[in-house]
Amino acid sequence: MAGDLATPRSRDLRPILSFVFVLILWDLAHRFALVDPRFLPAPLDILTRLISELSAGTILSDLAATLRRNLLGFLIGAAAGVSLGAVLGASRRIGQIVGPTVVAQRQTALFAWVPLLAMWFGGGDSGKIAFIALAAFQPTVINTWRGIALVPEPLRELAASLRFSQGQYLRHVALPAAAPQIFTGLHTALIYAWLATVGSELFMNITPGLGGRLSEGSQMFEMDLLFLAIAIFGAVGLIYNSLAEALEAQLLKGHRP
Amino acid sequence: MTLIHSSPAPVPFAPRTARALVQSLAPLGALSGQILLGLSFPLALLALWSLGAARGWVPPQILPAPSVVWQSFLDLCADGSLALHTNASLIRVAEGFALGATVGLVFGAAVGLVPALRAWVWPPVQAATRVNVLAWMPLLTLFLGIDEALKVVVIGWSVSIPVILATARAVGDVPATLRELGAVLNLTRAQRLRLIVLPQALPQIATGLREGLANAWQSLVIVELFASFEGLGYLMTWGRQLFQLDLVLVAMAVIAVLGFSLDLSLRAVERWLQPWQTGAGHGR
Amino acid sequence: MTEPTPALQIRALSKVFALREGALEVLRDITLTVDPGEFVTIVGASGCGKSTLLRLILGLDRDFRGEIRVDGVPVTGPAADRAIVFQDHRLLPWLTAEANVAAALLNSPLDAETRAREVREHLDLVGLSKFAKAWPRQLSGGMAQRVAIARALVGRPRFLLLDEPLGALDALTRLRMQEELKRIVAHEGATALLVTHDVDEAVYLGHRVVVMQPHPGRIATILEVPPEARADRSSPAFVALRDRILGLLGVGAIEALAV
Repeated sequence: MAGDLATPRSRDLRPILSFVFVLILWDLAHRFALVDPRFLPAPLDILTRLISELSAGTILSDLAATLRRNLLGFLIGAAAGVSLGAVLGASRRIGQIVGPTVVAQRQTALFAWVPLLAMWFGGGDSGKIAFIALAAFQPTVINTWRGIALVPEPLRELAASLRFSQGQYLRHVALPAAAPQIFTGLHTALIYAWLATVGSELFMNITPGLGGRLSEGSQMFEMDLLFLAIAIFGAVGLIYNSLAEALEAQLLKGHRP
Repeated sequence: MTLIHSSPAPVPFAPRTARALVQSLAPLGALSGQILLGLSFPLALLALWSLGAARGWVPPQILPAPSVVWQSFLDLCADGSLALHTNASLIRVAEGFALGATVGLVFGAAVGLVPALRAWVWPPVQAATRVNVLAWMPLLTLFLGIDEALKVVVIGWSVSIPVILATARAVGDVPATLRELGAVLNLTRAQRLRLIVLPQALPQIATGLREGLANAWQSLVIVELFASFEGLGYLMTWGRQLFQLDLVLVAMAVIAVLGFSLDLSLRAVERWLQPWQTGAGHGR
Repeated sequence: MTEPTPALQIRALSKVFALREGALEVLRDITLTVDPGEFVTIVGASGCGKSTLLRLILGLDRDFRGEIRVDGVPVTGPAADRAIVFQDHRLLPWLTAEANVAAALLNSPLDAETRAREVREHLDLVGLSKFAKAWPRQLSGGMAQRVAIARALVGRPRFLLLDEPLGALDALTRLRMQEELKRIVAHEGATALLVTHDVDEAVYLGHRVVVMQPHPGRIATILEVPPEARADRSSPAFVALRDRILGLLGVGAIEALAV
């Protein structure tokens, strides 16, 4: 997203140094008692908490439970999104009929679905997974649809002149042509699904998971746990993002016009 | 090698006005056809829903009849509570958007224009913004409580991120050709900002603001689900607790319609602000 | 062989586009007969409907009035006996040069081995055997267009349609490709119909030149190209024919020389 801003020059160490400075300032503020430790834990406290959580295994099992829900929801939503998107893109008529509804649904706030889905599927695992799947579905369906519908006219004409069947057209022309946009959709879906995962854990029933630990830290005033949970939340998001970027670059290598 | 220019075709005079009339009407017909097609699907869903409710295919606890939802919409309108909740939500969005847009524009412009800021302050801030505001919410609660301050800050936070990114990038990455133009024309720094940097940054900033508004609407729902005693998110939570799905659906519909019209109006503003942009290539 | 079946027979062909702004007549009363093995070029200003004509012959567009027969059979859609080269090469960026050529054989009855041999032979014919595994983006404009020509020829079509195939190339590459095209088409023995707005190209490549006029597109005249004009670009016959065509197109001879 912000790659060009994040890396101004290849050998520029200032961004890394800036993090070091923040950590030093943070630590110094603690040593000289400039901040209330009840509100801001020392950097080392968070590390200590991580080690104790790791040795007890609690945070790992929470993370595993969260990731399981996340991946399951993502897979369901992305599969539904790609399939429906391909149908919408392949048939102009169906695209005209169903498309506007899909777009309008995308414009509505995602989290407005939480209460409804919680009532339909329960606040437990199935409700959460349904919500995560919905979050992954929206960007996937729109991007797949657009990607396939917007295959340039010259390529369609070429396919017609080579007498491609509908299947050959999808396989050799439409899907490769739409691949960049489908990946963009899946990439966004991955990020949204992760957001929805934590959101579902905060807003639906408390079950084992990262979101539960987040609430726990907040309600019990355990600042080290709270910061740790936020850091893990951010780290997983970052890993997802980098994985998606690397995969995209790998898969699309040499296939761009 | 020769290029051949076509001579303009003689146009008969009389049919011209008739053709012009057809020209002005034809797109309208095509457009309304498109809209009708687009409406046919939700209308079919609505018909299916009514039919299902009338035949008792789904229990009302799972999906109340459209008439029930419509009735509770009318009730909520009549006793003024819908207006109250909508008003509360809209004020939050407005305040949060104002806060986030201001912070985003100022900070984004600073990061874009001052290389030192970009190098030293931007990376840690960016790291913090990479974590969605949702995860910061439990922490922010401890500092800000669960009242209006929390809501405005959470909404403002989510607004500011796309605005910062768009502004910093737009202001910072002026294309080399335009920068050369500024040098060739001997413009002062202020002139360059006014004539080159800002106009070419405006489309991106406008897109950032529109994204920010979409975020505001999203996080309004998030923060109202999290903790609130009025607002559309609260109405949904309340309906869920009372097992009154009709309330939930009314609130959802209002949120959807308002969010959609907010986006539409911002798009219109965007077009109005940039008359030199042709409609093509908009959106993501 | 005094009266062979024409390879292409077009009679009273008209085409009207229904646009939002109203009806637009692009072709009016086109009648043209092409013999087997003949190379016919069509020259005209932009907007004279020459590309539309090719699309109709190919069968991409079936909405027209009049008659189009290929080898005596009315055209109902794209078929293996007709192939087209577009102005832009239209290679699929995600396939190698070789795979792009092979894509034209996806629906051919040939077995895999024969297909591979045909692909190799045709890449060889356009002089690109060494670039079989190259991606389109690694090829220059001229090379990419040669791959597109190989793709059009690999199915051994009886009829080759060329829609300004050299229009996007630079002047030098273009001259070289004109030679190539002449050689390749003669080698394959295909009947060719080439559309261009370059009068020199039309005269140099065609046995006959069809001169078209725009708004709506119609045939102004059809001219035989004398063999000596077709053999030598600087022959008096060539220059005379070119000037005559330029005059027909509304460009004076002196003006043309000044360009």
